[in-house]
Amino acid sequence: MTGRVCRGCGGTDIELDAARGDAVCTGCGSVLEDNIIVSEVQFVENSGGGSSAVGQFVSLDGAGKTPTLGGGFHVNLGKESRAQTLQNGRRQIHHLGNQLQLNQHCLDTAFNFFKMAVSKHLTRGRKMAHVIAACLYLVCRTEGTPHMLLDLSDLLQVNVYVLGKTFLLLARELCINAPAIDPCLYIPRFAHLLEFGEKNHEVSMTALRLLQRMKRDWMHTGRRPSGLCGAALLVAARMHDFRRTVKEVISVVKVCESTLRKRLTEFEDTPTSQLTVDEFMKIDLEEECDPPSYTAGQRKLRLKQLEQVLSKKLEEVEGEISTYQDAIENELESSRPKAKGALANLTRDGSVEDTTSSVFGEDDAEDEELEAAASHLNKDFYQEILGSGLSSSSEGAGDPDGDARPPALESLLGPLPTAASLGISDSIRECISSQSQDPTDACGDGELDLSGIDDLEIDRYILNEAEARVKAELWMRENAEYLREQREKEARIAKEKELGIYKEHKPKKSCKRREPIQASTAGEAIEKMLEQKKISSKINYSVLRDLNSKGGGGLQEEDAQPEGRTATRKLSRRKTPARRHRADPVTGVGKRLRPMVSAQPAKKAAAGEPLPLSPSTLGAEPARPTAVLVESGPVSYHPEDDPDEDDPDEDDGEPCVSALQMMGSGDYGCDGEEDDGY
Amino acid sequence: YPSPMTPMTPITPATPASESSGIVPQLQNIVSTVNLGCKLDLKTIALRARNAEYNPKRFAAVIMRIREPRTTALIFSSGKMVCTGAKSEEQSRLAARKYARVVQKLGFPAKFLDFKIQNMVGSCDVKFPIRLEGLVLTHQQFSSYEPELFPGLIYRMIKPRIVLLIFVSGKVVLTGAKVRAE
Repeated sequence: MTGRVCRGCGGTDIELDAARGDAVCTGCGSVLEDNIIVSEVQFVENSGGGSSAVGQFVSLDGAGKTPTLGGGFHVNLGKESRAQTLQNGRRQIHHLGNQLQLNQHCLDTAFNFFKMAVSKHLTRGRKMAHVIAACLYLVCRTEGTPHMLLDLSDLLQVNVYVLGKTFLLLARELCINAPAIDPCLYIPRFAHLLEFGEKNHEVSMTALRLLQRMKRDWMHTGRRPSGLCGAALLVAARMHDFRRTVKEVISVVKVCESTLRKRLTEFEDTPTSQLTVDEFMKIDLEEECDPPSYTAGQRKLRLKQLEQVLSKKLEEVEGEISTYQDAIENELESSRPKAKGALANLTRDGSVEDTTSSVFGEDDAEDEELEAAASHLNKDFYQEILGSGLSSSSEGAGDPDGDARPPALESLLGPLPTAASLGISDSIRECISSQSQDPTDACGDGELDLSGIDDLEIDRYILNEAEARVKAELWMRENAEYLREQREKEARIAKEKELGIYKEHKPKKSCKRREPIQASTAGEAIEKMLEQKKISSKINYSVLRDLNSKGGGGLQEEDAQPEGRTATRKLSRRKTPARRHRADPVTGVGKRLRPMVSAQPAKKAAAGEPLPLSPSTLGAEPARPTAVLVESGPVSYHPEDDPDEDDPDEDDGEPCVSALQMMGSGDYGCDGEEDDGY
Repeated sequence: YPSPMTPMTPITPATPASESSGIVPQLQNIVSTVNLGCKLDLKTIALRARNAEYNPKRFAAVIMRIREPRTTALIFSSGKMVCTGAKSEEQSRLAARKYARVVQKLGFPAKFLDFKIQNMVGSCDVKFPIRLEGLVLTHQQFSSYEPELFPGLIYRMIKPRIVLLIFVSGKVVLTGAKVRAE
């Protein structure tokens, strides 16, 4: 059908045999083509006598799962990471879901969520168990089942807030808005657990009514629904003459005892609690309360306001008291003989001192009082005793350096008031100046702008010599272990440097992206890839290099075999496709190599691996290959290996066959091979 | 479905006009970073400063505190510093400069480069209770309300990019702002 001309006889009658993949000239019988790739459906006979089509379903994203052939061991081999993750996830979802008694529909939905999560790479960096639990909880919320996040965390023994974090992230990334939890959903579940017997339904109804009342009283916003349920159920139970203690309820509802008591107290505060049982069932009060946190906040505000009013009143009262005090004292003074001179002076100066300090504007209420008292005292004393002289000095008291006495007393009392006042004015000045300052100026040159920073204050933050020594000693003692570790580490590094094997152990960098290997032939590509990856020390790399140039990679094959046995996961994954893909003629594998040369390294690794592996897998069945070896030796059907000589007998001592023979003889499946192998 | 007891300000996702209601949030905390521009020996700083603590096993920075303005700073050996606890932008800047001055006095050539405010936290009270379930129904795509986990509603505003924690009592905490205008 190809319309070609036969080379031998020139005839045009070419027959294509789909089963064998041959193109034969009917005239002279010469085979023009062998191993034609056709896309026909083939049928195979089963053991039961029926026939089934040959082929696999290949998914869009994966490279195709491979049902095991004549085996069943290593079920999970031959799947790539994504499929494995999904399968693993499915298994875990079912396991957890059955513990929660979720129906199949929910489990399927959960699996769908999981698939979405995996495709958005949300499973990276998170424990699989957390993601699974989050998916399940999401389903519970969307379906409205009475499962709490607490249940899930109980099953997994994980902190509920950690699960909650994962759940929130998942909901946000998947753009799924789970409806808010309604505590009414939990009532039937908890009621059942509390075993009310026949009156279960009635109690549930009462509890529901209570809950609705609570909702209208704004008690349920921001609270754990389970706590509210617990309170409602407790009250409902009591209303129906069931004695359920607080302990029983909390063991079912999983809240703390204090929480339950608090809810009960809050409910007590609502006007509904005043109704009797019957009234409650019939009447529904119209008024609604404010949420308890709001009332608490309002109460605090009110208290504060009251306090302020009170304190103001106190001041007034104190002012009054002080006036009375002054009046009394004046009377006493006038009736008593004059005080001793020094003491009188001191008291006078004390009051002067007070006035000076108050002039500087300290805003203490205390000082205000003192000021009031002082002014009262001043008025009377000065007017009485010293007359105009002191009154002038009291005016001059405003000027700190005015009088001889005030400065001396200031120094007596210490620099505190003045320093503090200076400090305040300093920062005020600095604030004003910095506000007017252009911000770009400050960071333009990078120099530290010292304006407004009091050097004295800074110096106070630095220890002096003796203190530093003490602190150093204490710190050394505290951190002795750490210092010792550091020293050991440094010693180790120094030693390694000397020996020249110092490896910079940087914290794990994920170097997923390697530069794509530039290679001209498939062989070179494999070489380079293997150099990069260093799959196993058991591969004789030199032989592998000769793989394409010579036909006999027997040695390499044997080496590859134990390596295949002790397979790393990736390799084992490739094992089965390689083995399977005998059917898919290894020309396909070869063909895969060529387009992969320019493709990403990941795929390169994938493609490269079947080659060293196929020998190992094929080596697993030595019997047949031996036969094939004899048979198909001289024939090289591997189109890639243009420069290749197929010399299979080179290493013929082996019971296993080199990769190339198998590739060369590869046909459509075991049957094809058997046909060849007679 | 009972209608909300008290009116909620109709907030569209784009522009909340908080000024119109007359409530201005109070700044509670400002986090800022600055680069001192030189490598630091944390041990020296920790041993010679009065108000510094350094526990290398637990965390690789010196924790220093000053009283005025009351702030805490984390000083790293690379010369970068994080300053938290100030109640206004100017206070944060002043505090950062004071820390830099301390480091300077301890003998390091500290500079004051790239002072930047990273986060501002404010709070306010709207003085009426808020029905969180209603809010989550109307603003589904921005709100996240999970009473089992946290009693407040987390509202993520897109423009400006601010996160608000809204509580039923009417108190609101705003965080994530880089400038006061936000």
